Amino acid sequence: MSVLPWVVAAWLFGAGVYGIVTSRNYVHLIGCLTVCQSAVYVLLLGLGYVQGSGPPIFYDHPPGTAAVDPVVQALVLTDIVVGAVVSALLLALAVQVHKRQGTLDPQEIKPLQGQ
Amino acid sequence: MSPRLRLALLILAGLAILPGAAHVIGALPPFGHPVAVYGQSVNALLPELRHVSNMVTAINFDVRGFDTVGEEFMLLAAVAGTVLLLRGGRGEDRVDVGGRIGGRPVSPRSDAVVLLCRICGPFTFIFGVYVALHATVTPGGGFQGGVVIASALLLIYIGEGYGRWRQLVRVPVLDAVEGAGALLFVAAGLLPVAMGLAFLTNVLPLGTLGDMMSGGLMLVENAGVTLAVAGGFATVLIEFMEETRATDSETGPEDGE
Repeated sequence: MSVLPWVVAAWLFGAGVYGIVTSRNYVHLIGCLTVCQSAVYVLLLGLGYVQGSGPPIFYDHPPGTAAVDPVVQALVLTDIVVGAVVSALLLALAVQVHKRQGTLDPQEIKPLQGQ
Repeated sequence: MSPRLRLALLILAGLAILPGAAHVIGALPPFGHPVAVYGQSVNALLPELRHVSNMVTAINFDVRGFDTVGEEFMLLAAVAGTVLLLRGGRGEDRVDVGGRIGGRPVSPRSDAVVLLCRICGPFTFIFGVYVALHATVTPGGGFQGGVVIASALLLIYIGEGYGRWRQLVRVPVLDAVEGAGALLFVAAGLLPVAMGLAFLTNVLPLGTLGDMMSGGLMLVENAGVTLAVAGGFATVLIEFMEETRATDSETGPEDGE
């Protein structure tokens, strides 16, 4: 059981990378990128987990009770928000590519030319 | 590059990093028994030192506050980039009319959707404000609260239609909210500097543990993040909505009720 989180993280990352490599559509590619990102979240949260302890929020239980690592949670939290906006930026790029080239297939995109 | 070639390159790259990856995976701590002491020291010390009960917020806005300034500006830069890219292709013009694809009928929203959104929209907004306000006490904070507030705006769009939504949500207001959020965060960091202390030193009164108004300067930084995240997500939303709109010559009559 104890290797399951690492296996899940590796599986998610592998699936994401495979999707990126074989992608035939930029929107699909950006989706795969976010799957890779989720692998990082699983890995980070797994790294911070302490056996038999609660959340790092000392409201219901007093300070001093065993709690999981809050540093990785803070990292994941900010990464989710920033990652969502970065996906929006990438999708905006995809929109522009589609406007200029009429396709979203990475193979059909012609190199940029000066105008 | 054909997909087959790309896959072959991936396998080659995978083989190249395999020894290093195997070494790292072998050195991972057993699950449930982390080796990092930083987080545990934070858990042990910060409730006492900063009078806050949410350690994640304490890390984001106090011990690693400087990192959060960077993340805040990453957010700002990504939103600015999205706006630039989309507006660059479309121009500055904007109308309060929804997008229309020629020849496709516009089906009116059902009453159930309108009712549900009118009930859920305001409550989602209030929930977002609640999550953001209780950053230092219970799970939540500016990042989560800001996203919930922005999703409330999306519910208003679904319930009221594009035209009404654009009457409610003004782009200059969103820009101001987003910029003011980032400015507030930096101002909160510079306040201690003006007093001769280090950047982001917690100089305000800390309050009592478990109280909504605990954490001192963290509350100001949290408010800044809330504004910036809510404004940023709403701006991205509006810019993508504008993309769905047909050019002026193709727009039909008002997207009415």
